[in-house]
Amino acid sequence: MGVPAFFRWLSRKYPSIVVHCLEEKSKECNGVRIPVDTSKPNPNEVEFDNLYLDMNGIIHPCTHPEDKPAPKNEDEMMVSIFEYIDRLFNIVRPRRVLYMAIDGVAPRAKMNQQRSRRFRASKEGMELVEEKQRVREEVIGRGGYLPPEGIKERFDSNCITPGTEFMDNLAKCLRYYVADRLSNDPGWQNITVFLSDASVPGEGEHKIMDFIRRQRAQPHHDPNTHHCLCGADADLIMLGLATHEPNFTIIREEFKPNQPRPCALCGQVGHEIKDCEGLPREKKGEHDEFAGSLPGSEQDFIFIRLAVLREYLERELTMASLPFPFEFERSVDDWVFMCFFVGNDFLPHLPSLEIREGAIDRLVGIYKDVVHKTGGWVTDSGFVNLERVELIMQAVGVAEDNIFKKRKNDDDGFKRRMKEKKKRMKLEKQRQQEPSLLGQYAPQALGGRDRPGAVHNPRHTAYDMRMQSMNQHNSDAAQSLKAMMKNGNKAGGSDGVDGRGVKRKAEDSDEEPEPEDNVRLWEDGWKQRYYKTKFDVDVSDEDFRKKVVKCYVEGLCWVLAYYYQGCASWKWYFPFHYAPFASDFKDVKELCSGFDKDTKPFKPLEQLMSVFPAASGNFLPETWRALMSDPESSIIDFYPDDFAIDLNGKKYAWQGVALLPFVDERRLRAALAEVYPNLSPEENKRNSLGSDIMFVAKSHPVCDFIHELYRAESHEGTQIPAELCHGIQGTLNLDEEPILPDKPVESPVPCLRDLAQNSAIGIKFLDPQFEVDFVFKAVLLPGAKLAVKVLKPGDWERSSNGPWRPQLGFNHNRQQVHLDQSAFRSLGHHVNRNQGGGQYSQGPPSGGHHRSGQYSSAPPPSSYNQGNFRGHHRDQRQAFQPQHSRQQAFTQPPPSSNPPLFPRPPYAGGQGWDRAMQSQGQAFQHNMQRGQGGQHGGRGGYQQHDNRRDDRRDEHGQQQQPQQGYNTGRNYALPPPARKYTWS
Amino acid sequence: MASVDVEDFIEQNRQLADQVETFRSISESEKHWKSRREFIFRNINDYEDPHLDHLLALSMVWANNVFLGCRYSPDLLDKVRGMAEGIVVEDAPVFKTRDEIMQQQRK
Repeated sequence: MGVPAFFRWLSRKYPSIVVHCLEEKSKECNGVRIPVDTSKPNPNEVEFDNLYLDMNGIIHPCTHPEDKPAPKNEDEMMVSIFEYIDRLFNIVRPRRVLYMAIDGVAPRAKMNQQRSRRFRASKEGMELVEEKQRVREEVIGRGGYLPPEGIKERFDSNCITPGTEFMDNLAKCLRYYVADRLSNDPGWQNITVFLSDASVPGEGEHKIMDFIRRQRAQPHHDPNTHHCLCGADADLIMLGLATHEPNFTIIREEFKPNQPRPCALCGQVGHEIKDCEGLPREKKGEHDEFAGSLPGSEQDFIFIRLAVLREYLERELTMASLPFPFEFERSVDDWVFMCFFVGNDFLPHLPSLEIREGAIDRLVGIYKDVVHKTGGWVTDSGFVNLERVELIMQAVGVAEDNIFKKRKNDDDGFKRRMKEKKKRMKLEKQRQQEPSLLGQYAPQALGGRDRPGAVHNPRHTAYDMRMQSMNQHNSDAAQSLKAMMKNGNKAGGSDGVDGRGVKRKAEDSDEEPEPEDNVRLWEDGWKQRYYKTKFDVDVSDEDFRKKVVKCYVEGLCWVLAYYYQGCASWKWYFPFHYAPFASDFKDVKELCSGFDKDTKPFKPLEQLMSVFPAASGNFLPETWRALMSDPESSIIDFYPDDFAIDLNGKKYAWQGVALLPFVDERRLRAALAEVYPNLSPEENKRNSLGSDIMFVAKSHPVCDFIHELYRAESHEGTQIPAELCHGIQGTLNLDEEPILPDKPVESPVPCLRDLAQNSAIGIKFLDPQFEVDFVFKAVLLPGAKLAVKVLKPGDWERSSNGPWRPQLGFNHNRQQVHLDQSAFRSLGHHVNRNQGGGQYSQGPPSGGHHRSGQYSSAPPPSSYNQGNFRGHHRDQRQAFQPQHSRQQAFTQPPPSSNPPLFPRPPYAGGQGWDRAMQSQGQAFQHNMQRGQGGQHGGRGGYQQHDNRRDDRRDEHGQQQQPQQGYNTGRNYALPPPARKYTWS
Repeated sequence: MASVDVEDFIEQNRQLADQVETFRSISESEKHWKSRREFIFRNINDYEDPHLDHLLALSMVWANNVFLGCRYSPDLLDKVRGMAEGIVVEDAPVFKTRDEIMQQQRK
């Protein structure tokens, strides 16, 4: 769902659904990376069976990252994708299935959005190149330094669309990757890998859903499979809920707003491209050892536990005294349905329902009101009861008028506050710039020769100071007045010549340009104006309005079916740029009569023709490309050079609605029929429909079975024997260019070696097939065990179970770590030194931090709140703090006016948390770690943990590199591994 | 061709008019369709059957430009404007193209 706000809203409202991932980092030794053994128990204290990757969420950040320099070429991109998958695999450690799905050709309903994204991306890309060029010339003209321009071309992210050479190449690379890991990585030995590349139609996440849906509809499915789906789209949450699998978890990158982005020109952070000055790069770290890595730039991952979301929803949706029995699973489906009104990829959202304004809460409120009258649930296994939808929509319609008025009010209030804030900031800034102490009060350098004498005539000096600052204000005001008048004249004079001639003066540039809004939804007559401005029709044109509503209702049915049953029609799409009002939903009962059953998806190259602008034509064969730009082409109208953007009440172009024409499928096919013969055999292959492929390693029980199929050259589809593959079903067909054991796999990436010792096998895989009118039931399966409850029961206070202990991870019986006094002393010591560095030192205030700040292995104080110290002894989060300050009282030596340049050696038992310490006292430390015994029992848990790591490290020579110090710090923040693996 | 003329034309060429009616797309309002239909009627004699799709494309280029704010290459726009000469569109909507918005925001 293209609604970034949705996840933010969800995680604020239901905070316990988020669990931070614990990631075991691989170590480096003499420049050799020691991979993590993923066959070991999952450090997150949970075991996942299946990991699904929505690959497009991985391909995009790996090929054109926003927070780091872009990879230089395609090979680097591939390696970066491999590394990303490795990372995810290490965190999730699936035990049965890894499913990788790349977006294939999408249903027509999605194509409009794709089209709009690609047209925009193409424009934005060109703008960026132009701006870069302009600023580069400016900077170099001023004598600044910029790194030489790479020879590489701009990576056109539009090539991440099925049918391009890039995608074909990616599929090849992924096959190699899978074969390599299956052959070499112990964690992969027993898993089944599915690769659904771009040649298989369907969006990635929906191919995954199809797989899950079809597996759970066959009798061998394990109802307690623990699924983990990777991807950042909010609709994955809906999809996960729609499966009704009790154990479903989503993993995604943690969203951190306002991350620094490197400037596209010089690659440094801290400024945008337009402010680039071409200054030399600052050294990162004492010897520039941190160059190339932003501090903490690697995104952390979080889990989103749908089991917990279901708990929350159960609380919110449970209704007493319904006229029909309450079924939680059905109410979840209705909730999912209502979220569609607020935003999805296939329909524009209703004008009155903005997620930021609490639209979902409003809808749920209305729903709970109305459901008493509807006589039943709104949806059933993905089919919509339109009569009941109408009741809800009418209730929303009643509120519409007020919603718009309130929106305007809130908006105005917000703007006013922002303006005032800006004014205040400006004043403050001015005040800061003015020297406040003058004359004999002016600050004097210490140790100078002119010692300040005694104060003479203090009143007079004070008067001088007052007068001076007043004059300053006066002259400021006069200057700004003059500037205003001059400006006004100029603006008046140039109006006739060129509307945009004059650059506005700084004074009024903080007035953001207000986009004009002709609809003014907050004033009477909004409906009329809306239809006039957005659709160019009269409000009296009932037929047209009905047509829009009909299409929208069809859309709702299509989307819900898409989520619960799979693609109902590849052809259907919403043919308008805007949604109707909720109050327009009248007599909608008969409006959706089902969809064509036998529609076929586009071919990959056909889809490229319908989503690409002419500027991305280079991904298409020559004669096809010509259709996009030749004025004589019979589909030239699909490819405008520029298009209108309706800001639609928003502020930035990227938020607005792109008014692109829709593709006429008949005309497209007719035009393409003439150029089809021009395809080369290779292009023909790229244009054909492919198949999912299943891979296993030699050690997998089903491997011999598959190998036998290849030996027998059986060309019929064969069912997977359920007992060999955790009950997974499907039809196997021989692959034409298979990956077979002991057959070397050539590396498609030059910088990676060929796989001489391959032990993987691959075969085509087809999901279980069902009758056309088969209905996938949206129910819990018999035998499904619900996850242990996490939320605090509502009646906890009344029961005498002692204090409530919140659950932080997956494991309810998680081993708590307790620190004894000496540990706290040691902690207090370190924390305090970090905090106090600036306070007490005379040098530059940041001096202390430079030595032991961000890069030191001692975690910054804030991380203690994230670690296991939460919930120590007491349940309050702050429990640690008072303790700490009390400790401090007697462990902290009095603040010395002259802090040591080196950090004090820690007390005995203090781990080498500090890098400086590590390099100094290696031997000491090692001895400490080896010789640790009962006296440190209080910290037993993690000390043992560290010890184990250190042993491993010792085997590879006792090199202690700065980075390891860093790692040690990370380890410290991790909870200890439980000694018994009893959580699953 | 005033609207009366269009009506006459339809009367006299029922079959053609019915055929042209099939080219209307679902998202077209009465107003938009009437204008585009006139565009097609005016030029249909120059685009006999195998080239009919090209005429439809040109009619869409013109309609997209007028009613949706799309820009095409100047040559193409000149051409369709020439073909549409005489068609009266009452209070056509006004649009800002993406380029214009970006320029405004950069200021």
